[in-house]
Amino acid sequence: MGSSVITSQSQQSSSPGTTGAAASLWTRAEKVRTSISFGVISLLLLIAFLLSSNTSNNTAPISLLIGVSLGLLLERGRFCFFCIFRDGIEDKNTTPFLSILVAIATGSIGYTLIFGQFLPDTSTDRLPPVAHIGPVSWVLALSAFTFGIGMALSGACISGHLYRLGQGYLRAIPALIGTLAGFVLAFLTWNWFYLNAIADAPTIWLPHYLGYSGSLIVTLLILLGVAYFVIKRGVNSEPIRNGISATTLSGALRNLIMQRWSPITTGALVGILGTIAYLRVEPLGVTRQLSTSARTFMKNNGIGPETLNGLDRMAGCVAVVAETITNNGWLIIGLVGASFAAAFAGGRFTLSKLTPKNSVTALIGGVLLGWGSMTSLGCTIGVLLSGTQAFAVSGWVFFIFVFLGAFTGIKLKLHTIN
Amino acid sequence: MKKIFVGVVTTALFSTFAVVPAEAAPKNQARAVAQPDWLEKNLDNPKVRIIEVSTEPGIYERGHIKNAIKFTWHTDLVDTVNRDIINAKNFSKLAQKAGISDDTTVVLYGDKNNWFAAWGAWIFNIYGQKDVRVLDGGRVKWEKDGRALTTAVPTFAAGNFSVTKGDRSLRATLINDVLPVAKKRVKADLIDIRSADEYNGKIFAPSGFQELAVRAGHIPGAINIPWGQNVNADGTFKTVADLKKLYADKGIDGKQDIITYCRIGERSSLTWFVLSEILGYNVKNYDGSWTEYGNTVGVPIQNNSGTIWGAA
Repeated sequence: MGSSVITSQSQQSSSPGTTGAAASLWTRAEKVRTSISFGVISLLLLIAFLLSSNTSNNTAPISLLIGVSLGLLLERGRFCFFCIFRDGIEDKNTTPFLSILVAIATGSIGYTLIFGQFLPDTSTDRLPPVAHIGPVSWVLALSAFTFGIGMALSGACISGHLYRLGQGYLRAIPALIGTLAGFVLAFLTWNWFYLNAIADAPTIWLPHYLGYSGSLIVTLLILLGVAYFVIKRGVNSEPIRNGISATTLSGALRNLIMQRWSPITTGALVGILGTIAYLRVEPLGVTRQLSTSARTFMKNNGIGPETLNGLDRMAGCVAVVAETITNNGWLIIGLVGASFAAAFAGGRFTLSKLTPKNSVTALIGGVLLGWGSMTSLGCTIGVLLSGTQAFAVSGWVFFIFVFLGAFTGIKLKLHTIN
Repeated sequence: MKKIFVGVVTTALFSTFAVVPAEAAPKNQARAVAQPDWLEKNLDNPKVRIIEVSTEPGIYERGHIKNAIKFTWHTDLVDTVNRDIINAKNFSKLAQKAGISDDTTVVLYGDKNNWFAAWGAWIFNIYGQKDVRVLDGGRVKWEKDGRALTTAVPTFAAGNFSVTKGDRSLRATLINDVLPVAKKRVKADLIDIRSADEYNGKIFAPSGFQELAVRAGHIPGAINIPWGQNVNADGTFKTVADLKKLYADKGIDGKQDIITYCRIGERSSLTWFVLSEILGYNVKNYDGSWTEYGNTVGVPIQNNSGTIWGAA
């Protein structure tokens, strides 16, 4: 690890400025861990730099950087949809839930800015390019609900498993293997659902009816309404912290690494990141590379139907057949790497215990996650966030039913089987 | 140093005359090929209208050449109900809305070696626009040269483009043009621009595409000159001399009429552009192409591989 040496040097060179009381904030172990984490981040940045000189895929480096940012945000803000839902349902602590609402709010403002330029005229039948605006049918409700059950059973959603993998959460491994199996299952059932429901389902995009400002106002009003309801329900809610107080740079850095970020800050940054991702590459999503791998595997082994009807014309985290690492693959690499760096520096990296029982529940939960997300054309990031931010009704339908699924799973105590 | 100085002076001289599109193409290149340097100097020229016709969704929106507008080939330039090119009335509306007048220089560019930009140029020529050019090297070369892109979408005052009835001499149909040649009643050069494997009937469709024709092979008498041979490795068109030689070596010298085709008529429009607009031959593009010909009942094909659809 040559890069960690570089960072330790830069750490040393900055140490004269942080002598005295501030320096004593850090234990020796913390300093070492933080240096190693900086090394990991530097390595990821170096890879991005090397990728930028490769002309064949010019969005790979920015995808990697978006992944790094997402990994940091998810880990530091504990932006895990299942944990957030469970906090609210079980502990009546609804403060974390606000981060989702804030992410949708800031993201939809960002999307409005971009949409205004990408598709100035909303009166035609056209949709803004590649935005995650999907068909709305009973299949979406079913697949989102299934995804919610899968979250409860496996302990997290797909993005949750990816960032918790960086924290040493070993259940994420059977869960992600299950997810791949779930994708295969979804490809086998896709044609039936497509022909019987999805093909005729309407793709409802609010700006077609309300324009951009109307859609934004409606979205923000809905979010305010949900926030009001959620805050009222949160009888045990933790207070919303107003940022981190520190008097020195060293102290501020320590707080950033050790203390959980405020849900408002995290949510706002996730929304901004979603905007950047849509502007520069494609809407934020975490399943495309995984489902692409599953689809490529099936094609190479002659499993499943030759053609997936209509799938390639859908907007969402849709799998393609590709042997190489896609943009989304670089995003995932950045996400897991950065999450590890953040967790390791903060002393949150611990290898969790893997038992046969909790592996099996994670695996089965993963299958449900995979089937649900493929059939929904994305997961809690790709459809819930990127869809609602893009004013797609499909995003809201997914949101409602994934919550109901998780709610049912939690009430059935599925998450405690491990 | 001296060379650079001379270059700067020449550029300065040229740019003073650049209000009207100048014949600024370098030697051995046709006027119909717009050079990036020339285009860069004419980005704000009101007599030049730049149009991007790309295939990848969202590519225009994330950055395009300044003052370029977007045409979507599969909805803007075709009639999806009749499987036809866009009709005169709709094309007129589209062009006028884009601020195009009869004396406007239209410059088209796109991704993938100007594949669909050439289709756009073909349509513009059919409907009688006089000065239609394709950007050399298309979008890829422009990016590789490090030239600027913007996300700002321009709007223009409506132009006075007046549509002609449509020049039938640029478009081949199965009954009137292709079949008579295939059955050797009329003499013309047929050029199949698909890959050699498609031409020889080894495969029914290029990899990644569905089989859209139930027979493999080619139109009897057609010769195979894959479309990629028109361009250099960087996507720019080969020189006039090289192109002339490329086709002359295959026996095509422009002395008789030429018909180009591919699978759906899009890629062959690039070869149409090369032969018609760069070399000045009489060329018709057959947009029905193999998906019409290969599926039509009662017309003969030549299949060197003998493959039969559905047979083991």
